[in-house]
Amino acid sequence: MKDFMLIFIGTNYAELGLSPEQMQGQMGKWWSWQAKMEESGVLKGGHALTPEVKHISGADRTVTDRTATELKELVGGYYIVQAKNFEEAIEIAQDYPDYEFGGTVEVREVMVYN
Amino acid sequence: MMEPKMIDHLFRHQFGKMVSILTRIFGLEHLDTIEDAVQDTFVKATIAWRDHVPDNPEAWLTQAAKNRTIDLFRKFNAEKGRIPKIDHGPASMAIYDLFLDNEIEDSQLRMIFAACHPALNSKDQLSFSLKTISGFSSKEIASALLLKEETVKKRLTRARKAIQTQGISFEIPQGNDLPRRLNRVLEVIYLIFNEGFHSNRQDILIRQELCGEAIRLCKMLLKNTFTNNSAAYALFALMCFHAARLESKVSPTNEIIDLEHQDRSQWHRPLITLGNHAMIKAVENDEYSSYHIEAAIAAEHLHAHSFKATNWEKILMWYKKLYDLQPSPMTLLNIAMVTLQLGDLEEVHQLLIAIDSKDLEQRAYLYFGAWAEYYVQKGQKTEALDSIDQALELVKNEAERQFLIKKKTNHYGLR
Repeated sequence: MKDFMLIFIGTNYAELGLSPEQMQGQMGKWWSWQAKMEESGVLKGGHALTPEVKHISGADRTVTDRTATELKELVGGYYIVQAKNFEEAIEIAQDYPDYEFGGTVEVREVMVYN
Repeated sequence: MMEPKMIDHLFRHQFGKMVSILTRIFGLEHLDTIEDAVQDTFVKATIAWRDHVPDNPEAWLTQAAKNRTIDLFRKFNAEKGRIPKIDHGPASMAIYDLFLDNEIEDSQLRMIFAACHPALNSKDQLSFSLKTISGFSSKEIASALLLKEETVKKRLTRARKAIQTQGISFEIPQGNDLPRRLNRVLEVIYLIFNEGFHSNRQDILIRQELCGEAIRLCKMLLKNTFTNNSAAYALFALMCFHAARLESKVSPTNEIIDLEHQDRSQWHRPLITLGNHAMIKAVENDEYSSYHIEAAIAAEHLHAHSFKATNWEKILMWYKKLYDLQPSPMTLLNIAMVTLQLGDLEEVHQLLIAIDSKDLEQRAYLYFGAWAEYYVQKGQKTEALDSIDQALELVKNEAERQFLIKKKTNHYGLR
């Protein structure tokens, strides 16, 4: 078993103008997905991230504020899941609820050095 | 972890509550800012709750609304250059009192009355109510009312503008203004209901939601001693009676089923009981409204064990009363259809020629449908065929069209 990170990119419910009803619906889907992963024991952890971004760059470590609205490729959260291979990790990512709202999942294998 | 459950429409209803409370605190002129702030609370909750669901989501949202109040106070006062201290002390107590259940309902009632203010165009009142009280998005309203989203947005903007320019106050009117405005409130509620009940859109869920919202809003009126008049009780009863039949009106394959062919065992009994109780309250005094009569007609249909057992004489009597109180071509058409059930073809003919189909506007196809029924009874197949073709020309809705075509082939044996 390997660890994979599922990174969720580019959905901002505020920007999309989702109605309260739709938001509740999406949240139900997140819960179902999480419950499903926990039941099958593949979920190792993860977090949702707030849209506030501090960008640090350059030799002089310049800090810039980036608001979510400026960033189309905002990372909204991540999960770490256990899977045999990429195919299995991709299978797990099928239930990500936000594809229809323009969201993307990036699947990355966690590197193990031995 | 068990998958957490949340009350159906919690977000939607909570949205309406929060907007009403905050509007009561800050005034209708800040409605835009308030709606954005509330929307933002839900966005945050949606993200935060992915990982950690609060034990009591409703309480969490209420707390969030209180926090928003303080944020907004700071924001509005910072604009004026003063920083208030309302997050503690007596001022905050007074504000927090507004979050008690009965005060929340009072705030929502004020919003309903504001939405039905005569300064607002009647079409705008409907969209504005659904948005502000019921938490529908413009897209959802458009889909529910079969409108373009752009149209809905225009209506909402126009309603907001009217509220700003006319300085509408956020309160339940008193004295002579109350009965007049309450009448309009009831009309708007009934319109919302009818959009759900009569709309032939196929999505039964949206239809149930509209009917459910109308019933919920009416229930709020019934809980308040200033607004629970007999017309409100009668409207509540009427909507319960209709709603009891909602699901049996559509087949699993989304075909329309008329009253004659509905499975009466599927009618929702608890709603009928609820309606009966409301009806008892509605007739406690002598005041009566068109809702009383319509409820009586609906109840008469519900009492009949089969279509054949329907007491058409009694229904005819009620329709005539309704026509006396509120003459409309649609009621006249209903009188004609009931008279047809009673077999008095001569009278049906008289009634039908007295109606001008143009007065029925988008329901004109029903008029030609009625002629078709009449000619079938008379045994005049050619004329029946002509009439049903005229109806088919006018009908816009696909489900209705299918219904007419089916009737043409199955029931009349016409092709």
